[in-house]
Amino acid sequence: MNFAHLHLLLNHFPIIGTIVGFGLFGASFLGDGRHTDLRRSGLIVFAVTAFVTIPAFVSGIGAQQMLAGDPVVSAVIERHEGAALLTLWVVEITGALAVIGLWQSHVRPQPTRSTLIAILLCSIVSMGLLARTGNTGGDIRHPEVGRGENATVIEGTIGAVVHAFEPTPDKFSEAMVASKWWWAFMMSMHFIGLSLLIAGIGILNLRLIGFAKQLPIEPLHRFFPWALAGLGINVLTGMLAFIGMPEYYTFNAAFWFKLLALMLAGLNVAMFYVLGTFERVKRLGAGEDAPFSAKVIAASSLVLWFAVAISGRYIQLFQETISTDLD
Amino acid sequence: MTVPAFLNTIEQTGFSIWIRESESVFAYYFILVFHTIGLSLLVGTSALIALRLLGIAPSLPLLPLRQLYRLIWGGLWLNIISGILLLFAYPTKALTNPFFYLKLALVGLAVWVMMSIERRLLGDASDVDPAMLAKARLLAVGSLLLWCGVVGTGRLLAYTSSYILYGKIM
Repeated sequence: MNFAHLHLLLNHFPIIGTIVGFGLFGASFLGDGRHTDLRRSGLIVFAVTAFVTIPAFVSGIGAQQMLAGDPVVSAVIERHEGAALLTLWVVEITGALAVIGLWQSHVRPQPTRSTLIAILLCSIVSMGLLARTGNTGGDIRHPEVGRGENATVIEGTIGAVVHAFEPTPDKFSEAMVASKWWWAFMMSMHFIGLSLLIAGIGILNLRLIGFAKQLPIEPLHRFFPWALAGLGINVLTGMLAFIGMPEYYTFNAAFWFKLLALMLAGLNVAMFYVLGTFERVKRLGAGEDAPFSAKVIAASSLVLWFAVAISGRYIQLFQETISTDLD
Repeated sequence: MTVPAFLNTIEQTGFSIWIRESESVFAYYFILVFHTIGLSLLVGTSALIALRLLGIAPSLPLLPLRQLYRLIWGGLWLNIISGILLLFAYPTKALTNPFFYLKLALVGLAVWVMMSIERRLLGDASDVDPAMLAKARLLAVGSLLLWCGVVGTGRLLAYTSSYILYGKIM
């Protein structure tokens, strides 16, 4: 397997996920508009999609390296990359709003009206931008779909308008690494985000395992949104760092290990709620022991989140551990 | 400013060279991993306690938060030890950087704030005194800002040094 395989494997998930999420979410407003299960499912699909979009996006750089050299292909790739650079943020914002909606439906009967409207608008914009990212990506090696052999990049009217909002990949990268102060700020935020994850998830997990047992679960769970905020900070600063030095991270084994651990950590959090573990432990008061199944999930969560942090720390040592010679 | 020669002596010891130059995953980056784990325990737990004092999760009782101080002091000791080892690897780099001293001062203040919170707010007499409550918020905000300062100055150490090693200007 190489990066082109990986990119082709992953790059359909953001599109399919957003369409399925939109279908479920949109359908929940039909009829009397009280299909809370449909709505919840749609929000979960949006959140999962935002998560999977991270590896889909970053695998593109490796795939690009495999086609380097041909100037026509390079121009087509640059347009695709610019489209992806814009789409990424809208998909991530949709996912973040969906997570906010899920939290709101946990603490009140249903998400607020403004959250629901924001999710609806963002998911519609996501679908449009994903269509363009998919199309411009398809142009890279499917000349039969559009233009001939000696084609240059030609934009339609809508494409030209959207293109005005798309970052130029090289300039975006340069802006991220131009100042050491900006870089140090991003990295500091990345560590603060990590600390918030420990505050909101790590300590809850330790309590479930049996540490500091005098703390009741339900109030401790009130810090969970702070962990989500930390995750949000880290996805943002992490992706900005990746955009700053894409080749540095792409050909780095520790970086891919980190992403794998992150995906598993996300799956673990989803299981904690979807499998009903949280429902079983939320009423635990001072001194009460969590069931064994909850302890297993809590322990694996700790292992996975620390695996994310530890492999992140090893990125600097693991430079050029993946061959750039892809033939 | 002349860089003291004893920093060179430290850098030339076998242990210092091993931490710096060994290709083993258990050398420099392994120590950094522990420094990061210590940071996340220290700052993460302090943040939870500070946020509780600022009004998040008011139903969480204050007294059992004392148990979490094991994580705070555990994280602090982890970072003192790993920090000394990192200092052993690059003494000139750290000690010639003003941010290093700023970071240590901020660590000292943040630790003092956390000790004050433990002693004055999480004590046995959990009667809510309004004067104490105002102080609680001040201490909580102070703790959050100081830890952010510690993380920020710590990160700056990687990018602002004048020397990488004795006699080697960046």
